[in-house]
Amino acid sequence: MTDEEVCGTKGALNQVTVTINGREYSAEEGEILLGVAIRENVEIPHLCYEASLSPSGACRLCMVGVRKKGKTEMTTSCTLRVTEGLDVVTETPEILRHRKMLLELYLAEAPKSEVIKSLAARYGVTKTRFFKKAEPADPLGNKCVLCGLCVRVCNEIMGGGVISFVNRGPYTVVATPFFGENPICLGCGACAQVCPTHAIEIENPGDERIMTSWGKTRVKLRQCPVCGKYYAPDILAETIYAKITPPLSQQIQDMCPDCRRKYLAKQEVLVKSGDFSGGNNHV
Amino acid sequence: MDEKTLDDIISQYDAPSGRLLGILGEIQNRERYIPRELLEMLSAKLKIPLSHLYSLVTFYSFFSLQPVGDHRVTVCMGTACHVKGAAAILTTLEQLLCLPEGVTEETRSPVTTEDNAFTLEIARCFGACSIAPVLRVDNHLYGYATPDGLPAILEEYGWRKHED
Repeated sequence: MTDEEVCGTKGALNQVTVTINGREYSAEEGEILLGVAIRENVEIPHLCYEASLSPSGACRLCMVGVRKKGKTEMTTSCTLRVTEGLDVVTETPEILRHRKMLLELYLAEAPKSEVIKSLAARYGVTKTRFFKKAEPADPLGNKCVLCGLCVRVCNEIMGGGVISFVNRGPYTVVATPFFGENPICLGCGACAQVCPTHAIEIENPGDERIMTSWGKTRVKLRQCPVCGKYYAPDILAETIYAKITPPLSQQIQDMCPDCRRKYLAKQEVLVKSGDFSGGNNHV
Repeated sequence: MDEKTLDDIISQYDAPSGRLLGILGEIQNRERYIPRELLEMLSAKLKIPLSHLYSLVTFYSFFSLQPVGDHRVTVCMGTACHVKGAAAILTTLEQLLCLPEGVTEETRSPVTTEDNAFTLEIARCFGACSIAPVLRVDNHLYGYATPDGLPAILEEYGWRKHED
């Protein structure tokens, strides 16, 4: 899915000019300001933003000041849509104060996260006044900042709904229902991929994948008939192949990406060299 | 609760949005807790991920995932009640109901007596600060509570002092 589709701006691609820290940039109307900043290499710290997901505004780190009629209003740049003449500043004393406070809170929420530690250090925050979370049995290793990216990617992209926020207030965690194994998990690992603090643990011992952080959910892995490597969860492969029309041949479906690439390249070479007989007999 | 009853409840809440809390509330009222099997059944019927339902049920303190006793005793631990001595009320209730001291604060979830007669839990603010400290048994509110007055309140609900 592209940015435009997610943001619902397709078809209305008016070019506008926005000002970030006094410099002008061109952008498409309705684009997310943080997306523009990332593209233009303007540094705005953020944890919960992902271009392919709907805007959320959970982590509050990407606050910018919008200048309007001589006043500066603070808002999250990951939920701010670009309009003609938009004028923002990314660092004001107020924003910095706000960020430092947030980073201090994050240091208490996720004291084991190196990502948070180094981000906080960049803003001169090395200590926290708040009570540090120290849960010895935390499946997320005291690294989760509850940004919700994993929950959103599972719901919006994979259509899984495997995990969600559980409990409320200071006891909120991300978990599977009843903290147990969730049989609907495809084992795709998108949650771990998007996690900004690398809190989600996944293990691949032999022929299965264990979603350690998600109630130790077990997913069978598929073995490549050519090289013997275990390469992807069985249930994930089935789900994805079912969406491809026309379907791939069984032979291609079973192969791991590496062997498939070699196989297809070899066929290509054979076709180009005029030898039409050889390819299909391979493997 | 059988499947038919669950279907009846679902059919009463046909609005596409915002019906979940209505359905879950009804289950909570009838069963006095939300059994896991019903939650799983509901998830399958409404085609809503179980994780979503579990998220709702654990968010609202109105819902309970554990069976509760015949009478639900809720002690307000809001600021006003706390200042007016809610901690002593809670400790006394734990003693009277033969529960381990401090268990309600520790587990952060309702605690039920062994004979299933009472469930003790804490809540933040009832909004009845003017009569603090306050406790609620089922749907009855008791203001200006004192540790000495607690046995009399519990006796209204069939509690009897244990003979030592």
